[in-house]
Amino acid sequence: MADTSASSDKTYAQRLVESLPEGRLTPRQLRVKDDHLARALAGEDFLLLDGAMGTQLQARGLAAGELPELLNLTKPEEVTAIHRAYVEAGSEVVTANTFGANALKLNNSWTVRRVVEEGVRCARASGARYVAADLGPTGALLEPMGTLPFEKAYRLFADQVQAADAAGADLFVIETMADLAETKAALLAVTENSDLPAFVTMTFDEDGRTFLGTTPEVAAVTLSALGASAVGINCSLGPADVAPLVERMLPWADCPVMAQANAGLPRVVDGTTVYDIKPAEYCEAVAGMLDAGVTIIGGCCGTTPEYIAAEKKLLAGRVPAPRKLRDCFTVTSAQELCALEPGQVGVIGERINPTGKKRMKEALRSGNHDYIMGLAISQTKDGAQILDVNAGLPEIDEGAEICRLVSELQGVTTLPLQIDAADPAVIEAAVRSYPGKALINSTNGKADVMAAVLPIAKHYGCAIVGLALDEEGIPKTAQGRLDIARKIVGRAEELGIPRQDIAIDCLTMACSTDQTAPRAILDGIRLVKRELPGVRTVLGVSNISFGLPFRPLVNATFLSAALSAGLDLAIVNPGTQRMMDVVHSWRVLSGEDESAQYYVAHFADRSDKVAPAGASPAAGGVGGSVTSVVGTSDGTSAPATREDQVRELVLAGRKGPVPEAVAGLLDSHDTMYVINQVLIPALDEVGARFEKGTFFLPQLMASAEAAKAGFEVIRQRNAGTGEAGPAKGKVIVCTVHGDIHDIGKNIVRMLLENYGYDVVDLGRDVPPETVAEACERDHVELVGLSALMTATVPAMRETIELLRKRCPWAKVVVGGAVLTPEYAKMVGADFYAKDATETARIAGEILG
Amino acid sequence: MISDYHIDSLDRSEVLRYLGYRGQAMTPELDARVDGVIAHCLEVGRPRGSVRTFEVAGWATMADGLPELRLAGTSLTLQGHSMEEHMAGAVAVGVLAVTAGMGVERELRRLAVADPVAQAIFDAAGTTLVERAADAAEAQLVALARERGLYTNFRFSPGYGDLPLSCQPVLLSTLDAQRRLGITLTDTLLMTPTKSVTAVVGMFRDRQPSTHRTCRGCPCFDFCTLRPTGVTCHG
Repeated sequence: MADTSASSDKTYAQRLVESLPEGRLTPRQLRVKDDHLARALAGEDFLLLDGAMGTQLQARGLAAGELPELLNLTKPEEVTAIHRAYVEAGSEVVTANTFGANALKLNNSWTVRRVVEEGVRCARASGARYVAADLGPTGALLEPMGTLPFEKAYRLFADQVQAADAAGADLFVIETMADLAETKAALLAVTENSDLPAFVTMTFDEDGRTFLGTTPEVAAVTLSALGASAVGINCSLGPADVAPLVERMLPWADCPVMAQANAGLPRVVDGTTVYDIKPAEYCEAVAGMLDAGVTIIGGCCGTTPEYIAAEKKLLAGRVPAPRKLRDCFTVTSAQELCALEPGQVGVIGERINPTGKKRMKEALRSGNHDYIMGLAISQTKDGAQILDVNAGLPEIDEGAEICRLVSELQGVTTLPLQIDAADPAVIEAAVRSYPGKALINSTNGKADVMAAVLPIAKHYGCAIVGLALDEEGIPKTAQGRLDIARKIVGRAEELGIPRQDIAIDCLTMACSTDQTAPRAILDGIRLVKRELPGVRTVLGVSNISFGLPFRPLVNATFLSAALSAGLDLAIVNPGTQRMMDVVHSWRVLSGEDESAQYYVAHFADRSDKVAPAGASPAAGGVGGSVTSVVGTSDGTSAPATREDQVRELVLAGRKGPVPEAVAGLLDSHDTMYVINQVLIPALDEVGARFEKGTFFLPQLMASAEAAKAGFEVIRQRNAGTGEAGPAKGKVIVCTVHGDIHDIGKNIVRMLLENYGYDVVDLGRDVPPETVAEACERDHVELVGLSALMTATVPAMRETIELLRKRCPWAKVVVGGAVLTPEYAKMVGADFYAKDATETARIAGEILG
Repeated sequence: MISDYHIDSLDRSEVLRYLGYRGQAMTPELDARVDGVIAHCLEVGRPRGSVRTFEVAGWATMADGLPELRLAGTSLTLQGHSMEEHMAGAVAVGVLAVTAGMGVERELRRLAVADPVAQAIFDAAGTTLVERAADAAEAQLVALARERGLYTNFRFSPGYGDLPLSCQPVLLSTLDAQRRLGITLTDTLLMTPTKSVTAVVGMFRDRQPSTHRTCRGCPCFDFCTLRPTGVTCHG
């Protein structure tokens, strides 16, 4: 988790922004060594880099597992000799031996500054025209999949960048990257700490994705928007396999595209590593890339000066091939590109927004984001292409919360996100570490807002929504809206934001208060599309029907009209079938859904006929319909009473029929009866069976899941009546710092929630301070800590010590694979729980 | 040497064993769910590994008195009494790293939120998958040893006995495991993807008590490249 804990009066976003280099948002003036490099950066000249360093060092006796960068200090003449051989073969750029020269990998052996300085010196001594400082991966995986915080990765790279700039490098090569977040950290480290150009290459697998799932298109869009001077591919594969992947980058990168492939695949022959592709064959594939528009080449693992000499020959007499860029509106996540050609329409899911949504507010306040993750999953399933994320509640730290959400959402959806916030610091905090090209919602025509938000969009390579309002408010007329749009687009283009990345929102007003509003909005869309060709439009649709009955119909009609006027992006609830019907049918009418393939596949069986009354399962009698599919957990005859049915469903772990059965029970009984006389006793029985060994883990969990479905029905009923929920008290659970296993913790959480506890799940790898803070804030009486590895038990002790100091009232229960009652005593815990049912029993003891 | 391992089925009873199964009666739903999750794990998994062998250079005693095995051509050393026992008399050491892939890791993270029951089963399936991959890598080492007339014992992983996790960074970089396999380490030396295994295997001139006696029940059976040629590793 990002360190989003509060330690001063300032908000998370304010503290973050203050820690960043000043002037990062002012437009960059690149320092380019000479005219040839300038022409290469403009795509007008070729540029020839060098080949492998690592395999060359190994051939000279570098032992496996040694840090190659230390040779800059111990054997500088060997390093320079390798560079010189490349220069003699024709390399214009040599890449200094600084790939892994970061503080994490050097691990206190030498300072970063010293190793980088010597690396640049070795490269310079070769007589190369340009020296590139090399930045490779940190070696640790970034959050949320790993544990390295984005800003720590940034810091590691920034140290390398500052050292290399001071040592006189001419440019940076960021290479062999698999993680888009880490790549972004490295690129920002360059753009914020140096005025030198940065070339960025990622490494792809045969399936066309990096280890972390990024595609060539996503890399090209995201990194070129972020200010890379060139993007491309290195390592991983031989040139014939790299060629189709690098060609996929060409239409999406508005900068030169580069390729440094391996000399095929490594094989071990008689104890030495050899590569199977020779220079001639290598160049054949490179020639194809040049024809397609690649202009910067070189080599990676297994290539030698021989390959570079062959490439130099290949370039002789050639001129860069022309390239054609797509003019799509684009946003990305680390794994998915959302690209809209002119005329295509996109759907932005609106539901992750607390405005007017009680349950969402609750989720944001409590920090329990399950509900929000559920919204993301359902909107993804329902056909959204971008998800809006808004965490604006006055009583919470919005920046901290939106960063947490953005991080957690990556775990459940691959859709690109729209960052929806008003405070520029919050926007910057959210888009900075977001691994992709986000859509910012929003700027508007006010001078101070444009001055604050547009530079953020430019610096972080985001697309942006521009609201058609300014100091004078929302214009009444279409022309007024256009005037503001023109102002926003003009200012954005001055900063270098391309117009296809701008979406103007003509702002929906309620039709019930002003019936001329809809026409002004629709005309506004038409005018913007006509007068500012290339600019996109976006609209939150549902406000139109405010104050009217049967709103979905008005919304849908308005959406059709807006699409017809030229709307590109609709912000809607994709769970509303009527709205998605409009979108899907419009795509047929506009020609976007070619040959109506999607429509035919999904709507062939749809009908307007209303199902006859009583046909829906909910309308059937509970007794009949449920029993027929229930059976019993022990295979005996069907249960007699409704209570028995629910009990049997929980014991059998069959969540499907539970809601209906519980709803039936609630028709004749109050909620407390259903909880205390039916669900809880069933869970107790599940626990007892688990203890006895007649149930094993998945059965325990499936039962807990079934019970949860029942509690959910009760919760919904209570939300309607305002009756208090069954909450018994708060429990914090987490996996301790340094440990990344969370299965056990998740099981405990599930069970505790079932028993009605309000569980605050802090996640995995949680620092002691975060636990203490959460415990202190809500005066939580019970904390559950989990650890799976012996190595992380000390972190458990630290957490407990801190809790004793700051929250002496709190009891601590510990569990996890390596824990024993003795260990538990040793780390100072109050309780040891051997499994989840034991934890639930302890919670009962402490909290009732 | 990087290899993709083609694993198209998992031993269901092993997956259940990781989940603490001891013959309890299961509903057909749960039964089907386990099968579905196993199939899904095989679908998103990309089991892959890397192996290398190094000659034993000799034994040394460290400052704290612990024995240390040094290897030729790598800065990797194997420390502690567990290694003293496991590698006693070894002439070479095989090193392996395998992973079920980042797809499995991503799915574990997604299921943690979307479906905790499936997550627990998926976790067990992932463990089974990566252990299968380790069997495959071990089979490669057995074959490499056999080419030289050597016998192997069995794989031993850092973190067990007194072989410290602190050898992980060098062990992984010896195999170029970050670049080739996508395995990274946390600052507490745990691997991500979590479904990854590293291990060392001893190679000896003489048959070892732990050398597989028969092909039946050998975990490497499905991946064995010797048997089809009419040779066995215990031969």
